[in-house]
Amino acid sequence: MIGFLVFMAVSLLATVLPFTIKSHRVTRASSVMGSLAAAALLYSGIVSFFIHSWSLNLWFLQGWGFLVVGEPRLSAFFILITGLVFLPVSWFSPAYLKRLHGHYDLRYFSLLYHVLMMAIVLTFLAQDVITFLFAWEIMSIASYLAVNFEHLHDSHTQAGYMMLGASEAGFLLTLGAWLPLIDVSHSIDFSAIQVASAQYHSASLGLGWAVMLCSFFGFGVKAGLFPSMSWLPRAHPAAPANFSAILSGVILNLGIYGIIEINAVLWPIHDPLQGLLILVIGSVTALIGILYASTENHLKRMLAHSSIENMGLITTALGAMFAFRADHLPELAWIAGVAALYQILNHSVYKSLLFLGVGWIDVSTGDLEMDRLGGLARLMPWTSVFMLVGVMAISALPPFNGFISEWLIIQSLLRSVVLKSTIDQVIFAFSGVIVALTAGLAATAFIKLYGMVFLGRGRSPGATNAHEAGHGPRWALGMLALGCLILGVTPTYVATGLSFLAVELAQGGTQSGLIPAFFSPQHLPQALARTFGPLGAELGSHILPGPGLVFLYQSPKPLQNVVFASSPSYLAIAMAILLGLVYVVIRIAKRHKQIVRHEPWQGGVKELPADAHYTATGFSNPIVVIFRAILRPYQPVEHEQFSAAHFHTMVRREVRESYVVDRLVFFPLATLVQSAAQMLARIHHGKINVYIAYALITLLLAISLSLWVVP
Amino acid sequence: MTAAQELEMILTQHQDINRRVESNGIRLTIPASLLPQLVSQLSPQWTFVGIVPEDDARTQSLRLLYVFYTPKGPWLGMEVRNHDQVIPSISNILFAADWQEREMEDLFDVSFAGHPQLGDFVLHDSHWPEGTAPMKRHSWEIHQKANGFEDLGTHRIVDASGSFVMPIGPVFSGTAESIQFGLETVGEEIVFAHIRPFYKYRAVEKLMRGQTPMGSLLIAERIDGLTAFSHALAMAQAWETLGDLQISPRAQLLRVFWAEIERIRSHLQVLSGILESTGLSVPQNLLQAQEEELLQISGAFSGHRYLFGLIRLGGLSRDWSAEDIQHIVKRLETLVHHSQEILDALTFDNSFLDRLEAVGTLSGERARTHGLVGPVGRASGIHRDVRIHQPYAAYDNVVFDVPVQTEGDGYARFRQLAQEMTQSIRIIQQIPSMLTPGEVVPTDKFHPALRTAFGYVESPGGSVLCAVSSNNQGMVERCRIITPGLVNWHAFPDAIRHFAFQDFPIIMATFGLSVADLDR
Amino acid sequence: MLWLRMGLTHPKKTVSSKAPSPLNGLSPGRPAPTPLLDAPPETICPTQALKEHGNVMTVDYTRCIHCRLCHQQPDQNRMSWEEGYQWAQMTSPRLPHSFRHSLHIRVVDAGDCGACLNELHQLASPVYSLHRLGIAFTPTPRDADVLVITGPITVSMKEAVQEAYQAMPSPKRVVAVGTCALSGGLFASSFALAGPLEKILPVDLSVPGCPPPPLALLHAFQLLMGAKSEEMRTQGVRT
Repeated sequence: MIGFLVFMAVSLLATVLPFTIKSHRVTRASSVMGSLAAAALLYSGIVSFFIHSWSLNLWFLQGWGFLVVGEPRLSAFFILITGLVFLPVSWFSPAYLKRLHGHYDLRYFSLLYHVLMMAIVLTFLAQDVITFLFAWEIMSIASYLAVNFEHLHDSHTQAGYMMLGASEAGFLLTLGAWLPLIDVSHSIDFSAIQVASAQYHSASLGLGWAVMLCSFFGFGVKAGLFPSMSWLPRAHPAAPANFSAILSGVILNLGIYGIIEINAVLWPIHDPLQGLLILVIGSVTALIGILYASTENHLKRMLAHSSIENMGLITTALGAMFAFRADHLPELAWIAGVAALYQILNHSVYKSLLFLGVGWIDVSTGDLEMDRLGGLARLMPWTSVFMLVGVMAISALPPFNGFISEWLIIQSLLRSVVLKSTIDQVIFAFSGVIVALTAGLAATAFIKLYGMVFLGRGRSPGATNAHEAGHGPRWALGMLALGCLILGVTPTYVATGLSFLAVELAQGGTQSGLIPAFFSPQHLPQALARTFGPLGAELGSHILPGPGLVFLYQSPKPLQNVVFASSPSYLAIAMAILLGLVYVVIRIAKRHKQIVRHEPWQGGVKELPADAHYTATGFSNPIVVIFRAILRPYQPVEHEQFSAAHFHTMVRREVRESYVVDRLVFFPLATLVQSAAQMLARIHHGKINVYIAYALITLLLAISLSLWVVP
Repeated sequence: MTAAQELEMILTQHQDINRRVESNGIRLTIPASLLPQLVSQLSPQWTFVGIVPEDDARTQSLRLLYVFYTPKGPWLGMEVRNHDQVIPSISNILFAADWQEREMEDLFDVSFAGHPQLGDFVLHDSHWPEGTAPMKRHSWEIHQKANGFEDLGTHRIVDASGSFVMPIGPVFSGTAESIQFGLETVGEEIVFAHIRPFYKYRAVEKLMRGQTPMGSLLIAERIDGLTAFSHALAMAQAWETLGDLQISPRAQLLRVFWAEIERIRSHLQVLSGILESTGLSVPQNLLQAQEEELLQISGAFSGHRYLFGLIRLGGLSRDWSAEDIQHIVKRLETLVHHSQEILDALTFDNSFLDRLEAVGTLSGERARTHGLVGPVGRASGIHRDVRIHQPYAAYDNVVFDVPVQTEGDGYARFRQLAQEMTQSIRIIQQIPSMLTPGEVVPTDKFHPALRTAFGYVESPGGSVLCAVSSNNQGMVERCRIITPGLVNWHAFPDAIRHFAFQDFPIIMATFGLSVADLDR
Repeated sequence: MLWLRMGLTHPKKTVSSKAPSPLNGLSPGRPAPTPLLDAPPETICPTQALKEHGNVMTVDYTRCIHCRLCHQQPDQNRMSWEEGYQWAQMTSPRLPHSFRHSLHIRVVDAGDCGACLNELHQLASPVYSLHRLGIAFTPTPRDADVLVITGPITVSMKEAVQEAYQAMPSPKRVVAVGTCALSGGLFASSFALAGPLEKILPVDLSVPGCPPPPLALLHAFQLLMGAKSEEMRTQGVRT
């Protein structure tokens, strides 16, 4: 509670402070206040997550009960992530905002930043419907204003409207979930709803479906899930990079939080089918996201598509958790829960790292098109190294964090053999395949990002004149990169911590003893060791302390016992040792050798022009060709110009693409609405006698209806 | 209406054209301004061959001779004087003249008004400043830049987001010849292709100046070593026309004999190249072994594996007994038979056909635009073969067909080569019975006339024109060699457009062109 | 499958036999030193390859193009002609022992007429089967131990030749293949030449000939690899 109070105090002070000091100090002051607030959030999150939660009655609302804020474990988890993202963003902002100086009033930026932070925190902490909706609405408007901050650009304004519209539509849809809950429990208080739902549940499956569908698709808008994700790749390029990091690292989490809060806490899902629906939507989202990410060449849009992919992965894991839980397989639900939470945490860390890095590339080169960048590794060594960490993490390469969570997600999807129905098994396996494909494409997409932006040679003047980031951005990137590494090499501790929450969400689960901590001398309990010893669960524990990250599932049928284990910590140590060894061997081998450096062989010419380098478009062209069915219509249209009869002066080639979701969902919907409106328009003749006839017909109808109904 | 009648009709419209009849040809002297009009009137019926530079004996200035012919008809040379260094370009009417005009501009400093792409062609600007004209009479001295670096001298044509140039060469793949390509692309597909030849420019035409007839034959053999006999034959025929030499029927027949052996060898080499590019190593190695067999036959009986030094003015450098000839024919028959077996088996190989069919297609219309010659042209439906249209040596005495395909794709070129090989062995089989005793190794004294003469030969790759003019001492004054490479490479960038990178080496193999032939 | 069968049913191409004599078409042969001729040599030889040396007319093989003009003279002016193919001249030490069974070659065409290149290409045919000796052509000089240059080195290719040499790892050897690379041959006086090769790179091994036949090339590569002359495995070649 102290953390929360400190946070509120600092944030409230920060909203007024910019208006009392000199304008050139605003960004710095805002950065200091933001850091303090984020630190308070971190403190509050850690205390509430591990030690004790708190709750606070704000005031009494006649007829509804108390408005409550509180920090149960679920909220604490998200508050922790929020602090983790806001801290580096606060360090990053002053240097980044320099370029806006003189064009926009940065005092309002500071105000917006702190209001947004407060609204987000309140949304997570709200423990009743009214506070939640109120905070949500403020958050929506503040984030719209933030995205639209550089409002002098027309395209930005458009993107902002689209985001606001999508957000409000989602909000209205979530009401479809909130209102039945209030109706059932006669209370707005979350704890009361929880109690009421437990009694009411089995009675009404239909209501359960309504709540689940409305909440999932409503909050899915904010999380960027299928089919309502097309606002995301439009909003990101418009937003300043520091807001982009918050948008991806925190605000998308709000949608996930909403889904978990309603479907796991307030009105727990009891039908496995609902879990499967979520699972399928999640994997479809992931696939669409990564397909567009791997073919997109605008850095921010590409990261936005990648965020969609990650939200899809999280949702897939959540879906698995719900399905297992509804099938009364709490251990597996717990594993999927850990996977989902891990993925949420990881995504926030590496995606804010990538967005901040991309923001600095924007500042430094003035360009975000991969086709025009290149060769930045030499000019921006620090940024390049930190971005490499982020890219490796998001591509799920060890020793970074993405590897663990994606490994867990795929592992938990592969456990489907224990499910009851064959259809469930097939759907699980299919999602597993899609997630695996997604992981592969993600590696392609981010190899492209790193290769095209940092390697090779600069393709534009901006790229060849880039400069390294200053201290603030460098620290921000460094902290997040360090986070990626720590989360990647200490999964035993992180997973143990997350399992506290996962146990709550899965309503049961395995003892934390099953994830022995890194370097712990502790072995498996006797009973489990007997079952899982032959399966290899304790492999190597006699030589090295602790078997690493081990997940066990003891099935009712002994043949279906599963164990999946890996030890990223030892893997990291082994990698470090091997790298060191390679270095030493090379040094020894080269001791007496003279090293001759010469330019690469380029087919006999001394120097090739910069446009003779592979571009991002060229790199992703095979993916475009393979997945033409989804990315369709991919139709290159060629115009040729000739100076005279046969001499080409120009071959212009344009490619028309449309977003698959727009094409399949929204354009048909818009057409439908339009044609309906046109049908309606037909009766608007503007002739008075026609309208009189309408009135007459209506009257006749009303009378006959009343005659028919009343008796 | 025949081509000759049409020419008469056109000439009656223009009174200011001076006409002269030369040996087997018509020579017109026309004002430069009339050139485009005449070319567009003539080009449907008359086949454009090339631009031949000549020195005007009277004014000591340069003039250009635009050479055309009709099948089995006379030559037509249109003489244009280069008084004010500007001649209207005909490339917009006849795309085939494009490279020849660029070459003339680079080497002779003749400006072609209306040509959109002059400069930096034969003499790479990285080594020679623009304006260097090594072939111009008054500037034989050449200044080379001190420190030039070759680059990919392409200006971009493709305007598409993310497009880039895929550079290939000049040094690439195993034992490929040096030439450079810039393939403009957005990924897999070649959207536009640039070609940058003349890395191997040895200035053969300049080197010819002042050579003895024997020396010119030796150099002509080494323009393209793989079709040495044909090039030397073209050169020899030009000299023989100049010196009015009579060649014995035996020598004529033996020339045909060896020319067809060279054709078989060259076609075998191109065919095994196609197989190599498609990765079929068993048939490739089998065919290559047949080629080696043929090289050994050539080496054993002619003294040189590539038939260097076989051609002499007025005949050949040696004669063969009837048994030798019979022996050669027998071995050739087995060899071609074995090769045909392999080629027939290939037509049942689907994976092979998939890589050739509808790949690198040049429609008949495109092929005509580029004025293609040789098997590449005939595979696109251009029925053009000098052996029939301008018969030389003993070709009007032997019976053979000229196969023609219509598809113009890689498979058509493959079939074309195979069918031409069959015709070649057919010609070779006729020769032993036709041979009569006679002198083959010439001893005649030789006095060339002071004018330009042409030697026209169908080399394995297509028609070779050799135009030679001699000076008072009987040495070469000017020499112009229009090779099949110069004509057919022009169409290659067009043929690879809209195909994928992986088709590039296959299309190149099916064209079977020599870079040495183009660069000279 | 078809090709597997065909490859197996045509085994005659891989039969080993002794290198035949005379070399029926395997080599063009070349003029041999002869007692002095009556006519001045420059009137006979188009490339000035004949040199008087004492009372013997010797042949500068870096210039000879096998045109046979000197062999086709009347008796008193005729140079004698020799069969053979072991023409390569090594001017620097062979490669270290570790290259005994493996040699990677990058061929750079620097204005070649195509004949030398085709003879090099012919080495890979089953008749010579270069690969049985551990020799392979590589597409990049980065992997190459030996740089083979054919052609008279045109101005435009000079830089490519230098680049290829610099791109190669040590130890490396440069082989000049053919008369053009060695002296410019018939093209020596052309303005567009930067060659001969020795003006550009240190030549370690020269293989004269126009073109040098595959056997001569094989002999040259085996010299580089350090094979002793009695071990020359040319007897595997079938005629």
